[in-house]
Amino acid sequence: MKLTTATPNNVSASLEFLLQEIPGLRTKWAGPRRLRVDLSAETLPALLALLKGRAGYVHLSAISCVDWPEQSEFELVYHLWSYELNVLVKAHIRIPRDPGVYLSVYDLYHPAAFFERDIHEMFGLYFEGSPDMGKFILTEWDGPPPMRKEFDSEAWVMNQFEWQDYRPDWLAEIEARGGGITTRPQDIRKDGKP
Amino acid sequence: MRPENYPSVSQPPSNEFELFYGPNHPGIEGNYALKVRVHGDEVTSARADGGYLHRGFEKLMEGRLWIQNIALVPRICVPDPVPMEVCYSLAVEELGGIEVPLRAQWIRVMQLELSRIAAHLFFFGGHAATTGMYTPMFWGITDRDLILDLFEELSGGRVYHIYNIPGGVRRDLPPGYLERVSKTLDYLESRLPDYDNLLFTNKVFVHRATGIGAMTQEQALDWGVTGPNLRATGLAFDVRRDDPYLVYDQLDFDIPVEAAGDAWARSLVRRSELKESLRILRQVVAKLPHIDGAIRAPIPNPLAWNLPAGDVYTRVESSKGELAYYVVSNGGDKPYRVHVRGPSAMHAVQVLEHLATGARIEDVAQIMFSLDACPPEVDR
Repeated sequence: MKLTTATPNNVSASLEFLLQEIPGLRTKWAGPRRLRVDLSAETLPALLALLKGRAGYVHLSAISCVDWPEQSEFELVYHLWSYELNVLVKAHIRIPRDPGVYLSVYDLYHPAAFFERDIHEMFGLYFEGSPDMGKFILTEWDGPPPMRKEFDSEAWVMNQFEWQDYRPDWLAEIEARGGGITTRPQDIRKDGKP
Repeated sequence: MRPENYPSVSQPPSNEFELFYGPNHPGIEGNYALKVRVHGDEVTSARADGGYLHRGFEKLMEGRLWIQNIALVPRICVPDPVPMEVCYSLAVEELGGIEVPLRAQWIRVMQLELSRIAAHLFFFGGHAATTGMYTPMFWGITDRDLILDLFEELSGGRVYHIYNIPGGVRRDLPPGYLERVSKTLDYLESRLPDYDNLLFTNKVFVHRATGIGAMTQEQALDWGVTGPNLRATGLAFDVRRDDPYLVYDQLDFDIPVEAAGDAWARSLVRRSELKESLRILRQVVAKLPHIDGAIRAPIPNPLAWNLPAGDVYTRVESSKGELAYYVVSNGGDKPYRVHVRGPSAMHAVQVLEHLATGARIEDVAQIMFSLDACPPEVDR
């Protein structure tokens, strides 16, 4: 069965019919062209293979990672688009935060290489089978993965840098002459009005 | 930048060299680098190296109110900031169940198309410059300035407008604004034959760009290419038409397509898109005076605005390709998670690595620019 027609009603019906082949899926339409699918992490590769092979889902738009420390889970969202059906499928899975390892989908979707590398760098989640888990953006960073919720940027900045007043001599000289950043707008205006 | 991360490469005597292409002015709209190995003039391998513009926007957004983030998002892509504002606003509006007034939607379309023209003018100037022709660069930047004038009049900002906010737009159009837009459109339309004479029918440019950085449609789909780069391989897909947002379904425009998939085809697609954007803008200018009403939907006090829990994935067609925001709310006054999917994340990394490998060293800059990648979108 290959889906090629593109009128909204029969697309949604045939897409849901196709998805019945995978047990344990929960589907929900979030709009005319947005289908949300919740499934277990083990069944995701089967879903992607089915969507790519039989429904024309050749475009992996993105993989998003959301950190849920209270449930001790990472949520991975695979955004898939079919140029034939014009329906976006969002596949949501949850994986345990510890040890934080999941399978790469690079074999099916080459754009996954970038997103998996990015998630590894920002969340510390490892993807087995991904072609490159090396650093890309944070080359000089050896701290914890910064996008995790427990990483507090502000606290890190406060610990890392020493604060000091910026009072260079040259500024003091300018201020002594009545200039510099101490000059108020009403002082420099001719009419004296603020 | 720590020197120990960039060790010198020792190797037995050979004709192979490793070159660090970038991060300053490597033929791309920002700081970005490509490590290439060259054998003679031929590139034998290429590795993209990003992170020079990383400012941690996604993390910063988690610590700011929904409305505050609108000041951050345009900075994710400097040459084409309006789609960033609109895409983020669309996400917040969808989460909050806000319906944007019709007038604001039309004004947004006008802003988006003006921004697209500005970005394309920037693009073809830069593309020509990578082949050694600087006159198109000056012309492109000069004409882009006319659009920045329009932005400045509307929002006070030439590059970052922060004009599209969740709920609508900040201000209504000033008196006589549409006439001035119309005048600029007349001028830009009159310039198209000049651009053709200068660049698009210029034998030197045609010869330099033909066959450079070519990919097939199959490769493009495999590598996640979107936008004008995908259309240059023959696939007529445009988010504006096929996954419409705002009022694009009420507008009449074509989707230019080229078959060759090389730098020349990518350039031609964008040249045709200039014309289509002008066509859309003419329709908007004609339509806007007849649409009255509010420019902003009433939103709650933005300082104490809790959006319902949920998640949303919004997409728009930016001048670079498919731009998307994945926004998650946990019911709080700040986003729980924002993921920015910039089209350049694909174009500037794996697509560039594939296309640069096997190219000649003098064509690498042109390949980079012909993909019209925006490094801050990669780094975020």
